[in-house]
Amino acid sequence: MRWNGRTRCALVCICFVLLFSAFSFRLVYLQLVKHDKYAGLAAEKHVYKQPIYAERGVITDVNGEILAHNIPVEIVVADTSHITKEKVAEAVALLSQELKLDPDDLAEKLASDRHYIVLKRDLPTSAADALRAKLREQNLRGIYFEHDAARLYPNGSMLCHVIGFTDFDHKGIQGVEASMDEYLRGQDGYRYIEHDRAGQEIVLYRGQERAARDGYQVHLSIDLNLQNIVENEIDAAVREYSPQKATIILMRPQTGEILAMANRPDFDLNQRNTAKPEQMKNRAVIDMMEPGSTFKIVTAAAALNEKKVRPDTTIFCENGAWNYGGRILHDHHPYGELSVQDILVKSSNIGAAKLALSLGDQKFYEYIRRFGFGERTGVELPGEINGTIRPPQNWSKISITRIPMGHEVAVTPLQMAVAMATIANGGKLITPRVVKSITAAEGETVSEFSPSVVRQVILPETAKQISNALRGVVSDRGTAAAAAVPGFVIAGKTGTAQKVDPHGGYERGKYVVSFIGFLPADHPEFVGLVVLDDAKTSKPELNYGGLVAGPIFSRIAEKAARYLDLAPQPDLIKPTAPGRVASTSASRH
Amino acid sequence: MRRSTQLNRLNAASLARWVVMTALLAVAGLSYVYLTLQLHWLGDRQKAFETTLAGLRKQNDVANVQIAALTSRSALQRRLKEGYLKMVPITEQNIVRLAPVRPAPEENAIRPVANDQVGR
Repeated sequence: MRWNGRTRCALVCICFVLLFSAFSFRLVYLQLVKHDKYAGLAAEKHVYKQPIYAERGVITDVNGEILAHNIPVEIVVADTSHITKEKVAEAVALLSQELKLDPDDLAEKLASDRHYIVLKRDLPTSAADALRAKLREQNLRGIYFEHDAARLYPNGSMLCHVIGFTDFDHKGIQGVEASMDEYLRGQDGYRYIEHDRAGQEIVLYRGQERAARDGYQVHLSIDLNLQNIVENEIDAAVREYSPQKATIILMRPQTGEILAMANRPDFDLNQRNTAKPEQMKNRAVIDMMEPGSTFKIVTAAAALNEKKVRPDTTIFCENGAWNYGGRILHDHHPYGELSVQDILVKSSNIGAAKLALSLGDQKFYEYIRRFGFGERTGVELPGEINGTIRPPQNWSKISITRIPMGHEVAVTPLQMAVAMATIANGGKLITPRVVKSITAAEGETVSEFSPSVVRQVILPETAKQISNALRGVVSDRGTAAAAAVPGFVIAGKTGTAQKVDPHGGYERGKYVVSFIGFLPADHPEFVGLVVLDDAKTSKPELNYGGLVAGPIFSRIAEKAARYLDLAPQPDLIKPTAPGRVASTSASRH
Repeated sequence: MRRSTQLNRLNAASLARWVVMTALLAVAGLSYVYLTLQLHWLGDRQKAFETTLAGLRKQNDVANVQIAALTSRSALQRRLKEGYLKMVPITEQNIVRLAPVRPAPEENAIRPVANDQVGR
């Protein structure tokens, strides 16, 4: 091959074509194939995705009274790379004084080489403004402020177990704050911004923006007026009887709406960091107890519903002691023949056991489950437990005589209240509700919780029969005369169960006393449950549900009836209202 | 004479065209710079207004929180206990009745609050 001029020229041209083709391919590769990657890298240098924080929704009671809302606060952070060594001592002196921080800890933090140190959370805006001015005055750099919001509970400890609280990351971790977190949280927005060398936003180059959606407002079924009545009475009960634990629930049987719920011990929601775990438990839904005689409503309802007996059928109650399965079952008083109604009125253990025996293990167990025991009620409160109901194959020989009187079963106070609400509601088991509705900030309804009937547990006639029998309990013949409310017919049942020892067996001399009732008995407006665990009475013979929990129910029911504007029956009004059962006086029982 | 006339003759139309074109370009350029600066200035104003608005919102939130805290049930009850507030019994003429009054059988007996003036 001869290297003449034309050949050389062609060769050079080919080289250039190849070279520029390579450049072109590279350019196309970078601009098209790798476009997103390099555009992203470039954007990272000057484009910033600024979050727009959503505000957490407000929680209110049924009347719109605020139970939880937000207050703007600031977080103080330090970037030590922006603080010169000469200024550290000055910064420590100022910050320790203004933020009430330990100077040694602060000096240690500021001496490190970290770029982001949180010095103080939840600083009120007024305090932040004052600190900002002082930092400017002293020409201190490296201390920055971030906007935040703190959750505030205006009523302190009132309704603390129902409302719950959030963690520092604004995530609900207890109560409605946790169960409704999805609605309360809202959705953060964002805005793409560019900033200049000084870090200032160049508004001209604002990019895509999505507004934040504030959290929805959650309206509870709780009525703070009724809650206040309940809180005052539970406090009075704690002062008088010093129980280890106490729970009171008020609910509307037709809708399942919980009107009030209080537990002791409790805690202040605004000072939850100082509360002990024991104080934070919502015992109405996470505590198990043996219900005692209040459980007899289930036994009697099952026997009547299955037509094994009629309300006036008499059952021999063995004069107070009955040997069954090699173990003696006692009644509190010796009874002979008692009607089914009177078994409830007198709270006969032997009578209840015989009713259960007439049903048989399997049928009785079926009814216990149909009343909702052994499963969660579905209330919008986190941590609810099932309780413990053993299937018949795990029962002992005497279980059929012990379960009817509320032993060998473990239920939550709310399950017990729901069971009584079933009687009050014509046999319909309703899902209890603590949330009434959810609305957006603009007011439109997002969700409304309507009553949810789980099942028809017993026939309406059976519910009526039980209701009639329970009226006798709150009479001079029954175990809870002190639970009466002047002007109203009340249906109710007392319970006194020996406390279960966690190590096995029962604790001697310690009782869980309770009373569940509803009024007016004909058209129930509310069901009330009072449970006191280990109430201290001056004499052991005073520690009964009818004597301790009954009067508490009476006072609550009387005030609640007035508040709900229920018309009393004039012929039922007695000159004296039932007073508090004095733990020092034996004359009242 | 003829040559000098030929050499110094000014093409006024062409000159005018260039002057106008240059002036237009200059005005366009200056306008671009002015408008760009205006945009930046307005952006800064927008930012300042946003900051002011955010500050006002924050103040409003703080005020709302204070109102809620001071008018909460617990706060009012505390005030009542301290004697700052007093409960005044409702007089008969201030009661709104929702249902006809039932005669009370005796003094101080409980009875519902009812309104017999509804519809009048």
